Amino acid sequence: MSVNSTIAAGHSATLRRAALVGYLPLAIFVVLLVYLSFTAPNYFSFQSLDLILRQAIPTVVVCLGLSAVVMAGGNDVVSGGIDLSIPATAVLSAAIIADQVTNHGTPIALALAMALIAALLVGAANAVLVVRIGMTPLLATLSSSVAVVGIVKVITSSRRINVDHPAVVWLRDGSIAGVSVGVILTTLIFLIFFFAVHRTRWGMNLQAVGGSRDAAEISGIPTGRFLSQSFVVAAFAGGLASMFVLARGSGSTPGTEENLLLEMVLATFLGAAFSPRRVVTLWGAVLGAVLVTALSIGFKSIGVNVFWTGCIKGALILVVVASASLSLKASARGSAG
Amino acid sequence: MSKSLRSSVRALGLGIVAATLFATGALADGHLSLDGKKIGVAVVGTQHFWDREAFNGAIDRVKELGGEVVPVDGGRDNQVHADNHDILLNSDVDAVISILGDGAVEPKFEALKNAGIPVFTVDHLSPHGINNTTSDNYYMGTTIGRYMADAIGGEGKVAIFNAFEGALRICGIRAGLWKYVMQDYPGIEIMQPELAEAFANAPEDARKKTLDLLSANPKGTIDAIHVGCWDQPAIGIVQALEEAGRTEIKVTALDGGPETLEIMAEENSPFVANVAQQPRKIGSTAATNVARHFAGEKLLPQTFVDVKPVNGPEEAKAVYKELGYGDLN
Repeated sequence: MSVNSTIAAGHSATLRRAALVGYLPLAIFVVLLVYLSFTAPNYFSFQSLDLILRQAIPTVVVCLGLSAVVMAGGNDVVSGGIDLSIPATAVLSAAIIADQVTNHGTPIALALAMALIAALLVGAANAVLVVRIGMTPLLATLSSSVAVVGIVKVITSSRRINVDHPAVVWLRDGSIAGVSVGVILTTLIFLIFFFAVHRTRWGMNLQAVGGSRDAAEISGIPTGRFLSQSFVVAAFAGGLASMFVLARGSGSTPGTEENLLLEMVLATFLGAAFSPRRVVTLWGAVLGAVLVTALSIGFKSIGVNVFWTGCIKGALILVVVASASLSLKASARGSAG
Repeated sequence: MSKSLRSSVRALGLGIVAATLFATGALADGHLSLDGKKIGVAVVGTQHFWDREAFNGAIDRVKELGGEVVPVDGGRDNQVHADNHDILLNSDVDAVISILGDGAVEPKFEALKNAGIPVFTVDHLSPHGINNTTSDNYYMGTTIGRYMADAIGGEGKVAIFNAFEGALRICGIRAGLWKYVMQDYPGIEIMQPELAEAFANAPEDARKKTLDLLSANPKGTIDAIHVGCWDQPAIGIVQALEEAGRTEIKVTALDGGPETLEIMAEENSPFVANVAQQPRKIGSTAATNVARHFAGEKLLPQTFVDVKPVNGPEEAKAVYKELGYGDLN
């Protein structure tokens, strides 16, 4: 064997290792799901699947938003694209709708319009903070998240607001041909996102910006504009998620954003393990969201203490993010040779 | 009949009466069983004494009656708590005991009812429940109102933490009746806007909000702070008063678990009045009610468990002992 081919074999072994590390989170999830399917009662049933899908809805929608930001900003969690304010935006929009419909008798369509405008404003603020002022997305969106939660407290006086509007009840309980209305609408939202990102010129440019900002700039793509737009799109996803948040809770409840944030981050980056290149994709994010919900439900069904569930979720986030970093590092080393 | 003979006869008589009462009591419960039944027990959280005790009380009693328990814990998140009922629905339980929860659980109760699974609530009145086991919230609300009014001499300015009056019916009763009592004290002014405590991490949240309240209202302008529905925030309120050196402000609240009774029992504690509940007994009573239901008994819509009013440090010590939390002397 020549020296060159030995080196090449070494590099491909490194790449293979990189691929294996990248699949680690997925493997852990599969093992957990198999374990749950043997121990949790009725875990593999239509009823169970329906439950998992319905409970995953708000997470799926905010994940779509986060995916758009990561695609435009790049996969690096710290320096790339991230938006931690999407769940808070969803809760803000939900609070606006609840307050308007229940306390002021505003027609629901108008309330929804107001909620979406508020969401877009949050997105615009994030865009200014990151693109114009140049803040790190992580810090910028963490701060805006805190600010948005503050606004929610002002609107709701930190109180729960019940909503029993027929449209919200329909979104919660309705079904068409046996499939939950929420699941159908979420599928539609996914398809629109998918089309926009993968089938339009805008989407291609967005992905190009995330792939390599320098290359995109050289080829004349206005990267700043696409980055800004990704934050607005993400906030819009948060606005859309608000309807599902509202339906699930039969009203707006302070504090809903915390759990949603954890699940969004976990699901989106777990989803990267599904893509051949270990990057965040829409498909991956959706599957990730469903898997995370399936795990949550499974753990509860076998009686795992809720604090342990939190611990396990946190540990899974660590594993997912760590293996993504290791995998990227290893493949960079492998291809650098 | 000699005096000693008479007292022996009386003692014997009392003994017979006691034995009969005990026997009938045992008979009344003796036929109850949850053998072969799977009972879902959902609680909104287990961080707080009250929640944990009600939860464990229900679980222990179900096991004692021979039933199997499927426990779910909402981690002090009302949405998670509500969603947990879907999991119970999916776990083929025979009945559900649901502890606390806001409006988000109502559609879940309805779904359980429609699936033929009876729902027994604790501290949550629901049209979809068979029975609600709770403290006498009416008595709690009026009693704490009278005690607080007395503590400040019937006049002064009062701030109230009251986030849940509109969200939980039990809080609506407790805070509403407190306000009803206040109507008869024209010298008492309820400060506006009312304060809203957080549902999770309430002590720390209330501590910060109280510090803000104290900064905005200098010494001599607040006479009492009342918590409308529970007493976890009161822990943080007392901390804030001590930090700011404003312990002349009286604190009143409801629930009376061991940690708040301990604060009340301290010398010169600003925490002057409470009404103590018996959460373990509430939980176990709910479980007994499930068994009664399965035994074919018709239950009343509500079962009330006695409360112990606590006025001042001495009563705090006495109630602490009476409820079996230990000795504070």
